[in-house]
Amino acid sequence: MTTSAHTPTPILVLDRVTKRFAGHTAVDGLSLSVSPGAIYGLLGPNGAGKTTTIRMIMDIIEPDEGTVRLFGERGGGRAHSARIGYLPEERGLYRKMRVLDVIVFLAEMKGVERRAARAKATRWLEQLGLEQWRLRRIDELSKGMQQKVQFISTILHEPELVILDEPFAGLDPVNTRVLKDAVLELTRRGVTVLFSTHIMVQSDMVCDELCIIARGRRLVDGALADIKRTRGGQHLIVGFDGGTGAAGAAGAAGAAAEVFADKRVVKKADDYGRYAELELEPGADPQQILQRLVASGARLSRFELQEPSLNKIFIDLVGPEAARAEVRPDA
Amino acid sequence: MRKVWAVVRREFVERIRSRWFWVMALLGPLFFAAVFLLPTLLARGGGVTRIVVVDGTTGPVGARITQLLDGSRMFRAERIAAGDAVLDSLAVEVGKKRLSGFLIVTDAAVDSGRAEYRGSNVTGLATIGALERTIGEVVTAVRLERAGVDPRVVARARIPVHLETKKITGGKTTGENAAQSFSLAYFMGIILYTAILLYGINVMSSVLEEKTTRIVEVLVSSLRPFQLMLGKVLGVGAVSVFQFLIWGASARILLAWRPAFLGASGMGEAEQVFQVPHVGATTAALFIIYFLGGFFLYSAMFAAVGAMSSSEQEARQAQQPVAWLLVLSFVSMFGMLNDPSSAFAVTLSLVPFSAPIAMPVRWAAGTLPAYEIALSLTILAAAIVGITWIAARIYRVGMLMTGKRPTLKELVRWVRTS
Repeated sequence: MTTSAHTPTPILVLDRVTKRFAGHTAVDGLSLSVSPGAIYGLLGPNGAGKTTTIRMIMDIIEPDEGTVRLFGERGGGRAHSARIGYLPEERGLYRKMRVLDVIVFLAEMKGVERRAARAKATRWLEQLGLEQWRLRRIDELSKGMQQKVQFISTILHEPELVILDEPFAGLDPVNTRVLKDAVLELTRRGVTVLFSTHIMVQSDMVCDELCIIARGRRLVDGALADIKRTRGGQHLIVGFDGGTGAAGAAGAAGAAAEVFADKRVVKKADDYGRYAELELEPGADPQQILQRLVASGARLSRFELQEPSLNKIFIDLVGPEAARAEVRPDA
Repeated sequence: MRKVWAVVRREFVERIRSRWFWVMALLGPLFFAAVFLLPTLLARGGGVTRIVVVDGTTGPVGARITQLLDGSRMFRAERIAAGDAVLDSLAVEVGKKRLSGFLIVTDAAVDSGRAEYRGSNVTGLATIGALERTIGEVVTAVRLERAGVDPRVVARARIPVHLETKKITGGKTTGENAAQSFSLAYFMGIILYTAILLYGINVMSSVLEEKTTRIVEVLVSSLRPFQLMLGKVLGVGAVSVFQFLIWGASARILLAWRPAFLGASGMGEAEQVFQVPHVGATTAALFIIYFLGGFFLYSAMFAAVGAMSSSEQEARQAQQPVAWLLVLSFVSMFGMLNDPSSAFAVTLSLVPFSAPIAMPVRWAAGTLPAYEIALSLTILAAAIVGITWIAARIYRVGMLMTGKRPTLKELVRWVRTS
């Protein structure tokens, strides 16, 4: 089981969960844990097992092996359905039903009392500018409006955990932003959000924690900052201020050359005299390098740590070779 | 459970709100009215039949037949003396539809009981029957008179016998006659077949909608698949019972007004092919019980079919085996009506797939021992439990499957492993 030191009471824990379908293993011994209040990204290429994982969390299918724990209790989402909001990947609504009725019905499924559901639904529709549509049929609504209705249905019962399967798929840039803001607003209120995606850009901006999976297996998981720090490909840009003229600069760089040549911390160095680009070894601490550079007598004008993008980490990991091996950030 | 109740209510309210439901509610009684009235109207050919009697007799027979026919409400008859050119010109008249046909009567009618009718309506059994009766009456009278019988005696002897039939139910003679029992059985069969098929397919498309829109994932993460299926079947079942209530009410109104309708169409009670039966409380109860039994049995199967299909077209194909079971039960109703207590009929009312139609039909057509009803209901109930158990397993797996329809082998595995 993955237990990070900074997440003492995870809201969701998967422990070596496995699901096999005829002929292949969709999820293979997957473990992860989600801290309360976090925005958790479940990342992976298509067919990695993200939807199957979410379905097991939601009790839609049962794992063949392993356990799911929600809110500290064993078992999937059905017993806790009042505390969880779920938006499946391919979203749909009853096309012939009236907007208000759909929202109320789905809220009732989450255990909200009918009258309370009506009042809340009306408030939400007003808030999102859909009040004049409440008695219209779903199929009269535009796609964007339908997505709003779905989002209302997902959160109307004020869940503590919201699970979104590929929420950004098929959204235009405007709606992507609207949804991203809505997710951030939820977390400000203390709601934990777990979402799956194969698009890294949004995850890089919003995720606190994440798990990258491929072929049903975990490649990396933990806090985003930890992953970025520990995953290979940390880049360091160093600029030198060696007085006037090229000679001064060369002298300063020369003092640092010993540090650059240390294969324990520097994987690759591109030294341009006044300026050097370093690729650090995984696990190397940039702060140590800074201290050693200062100690070497080099005068620095620039010391900038460039974090690798999540996209790069993802591609590095999920590349055909990397996809086979399970890599842990703390390994 | 509250969530199941919400599913039931959604199914009920959404269906009652649909235009389709009210069209059915209003068209149903009209349809039944048509079934009651049409056969009688059709049998009468819609009006008066114009014919010509080609009289080749040497006595008064031709004239008397013409007179008798013309006096009936069915015919307008005219007598023409026989001649060579007459037949051809009459045939032309028939071709021009000014005449329905012509009757050729010669002395042979009295001597050997032979006459000839040529017309465009020779398949109209009612017309031909009426002609035969009329000719027969005149010929009999003439023969008797020739034998020296007093014409007054002949007239009195002609009074026809009307055989009254009454059904015995549970050792008691009821007011129903054979025609009424037959039409009751017939209508029950039609309504049971139509309603079970219709509402079963309703369940199927409802399942399919939730599957194709993926709403099912949200639902199944809140309540168990079996609860969802149960709520759906109960909801659609409630709609069907409501529909029957509406039909029952409007049938009562139609019946109350029937003399007025019949008066307007100019026919008497006795002339109707279908007689309106009296529907007792026991019959109604038996009908509803078997309808609900059949509905639960078939809608469980239809729900499974909906769950294993991924599109309307696929579902339409996959439902055929289920629909055929129902069609077979319906078709065999006609065999059962001939002899409601045959071994064939008894077997069908014990087989759970045909019992929902066979049992009410047999009940209406004849008498049924109580133990047979009890046995058939027990088997039906057991089958509902068994079939629902299997269907629920297929439903549970199928609802989340996309892609191609499962083979029979895969279905068996779903049932075993889920």
